[in-house]
Amino acid sequence: MRLWTPLSLAAVAAIAFASVPASATGAITCKSGPVSGWKSQKALTDKLTKDGWTVRKSKVDGGCYEVYGTTPEGDRVEAYFHPVTLEKLYVNRRGEVLFRKAGY
Amino acid sequence: MLRIILNKKPAFWALLCLPAVLMMRPYVFGDLIAMDMLHPTGEWSARFMIAAMVLSPLLSLIGPRPWLSWLIQRRRALGVAAFGYAVLHLVFYIIDMGNLDDILAEFLALGIWTGWAAMLLFVPLGLTSNDASMRALKAGWKRLQRLVYPAAVLVLVHWIFIHNNLGPALVHFIPLVLLVAARYFRPIRV
Repeated sequence: MRLWTPLSLAAVAAIAFASVPASATGAITCKSGPVSGWKSQKALTDKLTKDGWTVRKSKVDGGCYEVYGTTPEGDRVEAYFHPVTLEKLYVNRRGEVLFRKAGY
Repeated sequence: MLRIILNKKPAFWALLCLPAVLMMRPYVFGDLIAMDMLHPTGEWSARFMIAAMVLSPLLSLIGPRPWLSWLIQRRRALGVAAFGYAVLHLVFYIIDMGNLDDILAEFLALGIWTGWAAMLLFVPLGLTSNDASMRALKAGWKRLQRLVYPAAVLVLVHWIFIHNNLGPALVHFIPLVLLVAARYFRPIRV
């Protein structure tokens, strides 16, 4: 048991090193230019709410707007939107990518 | 006088509750939502688990020290705290997800089922962390509590894959790995 534990902990760390992308938390990045050209987070929340989303929280991540919420289809997701066009770029449920726009 | 009070077990329990009190404040006042509580509750659960796990490797490595014995006398409380923060973590997860369908939809994600599995192992550990259980289980108690080792492996996988980031998990787990490994390779029995 005593040898097994450090070995398995080390193995987990090694496997994780190999398989987790170096880009850390940002699932995608947006080339979105200066913030002055962005639409507001409130504009995005209002648009999504009108489209049937429930927005729990939104923030900036990797030059995109990152939204935690529920899609009109009822999936609990993390989604990325372009801050200039508010276009949907990436939708992810834990463990599963539901949507990824070509090129992102 | 202050020393006597600080050495009482309830003082230690109060200390273990302190992070919870501090992290609950912004939630109670509505500045944070349940989702925001997942990270602090999970992190403190892992911290207390690791703190409880490093004490005997430390004892075999550096030998008896007054502060170390002081902590070892309180090791079970550290384990109970790890369990308590894990329960809080699960409660906030359930509040955040809000319904069974969403919970089941992501259950098989590597970062999720490992958390459930670790919680499952924590339950017997938490429930038997009392004098009556220790007396009833005798030598079996120690064997049972060794479930914390597979639980730690699950917690590590859960942390890395839920966060999609290695740094914070490794900062916490590398000292544990090194200490447990050092104890194995230099088995000084005290």
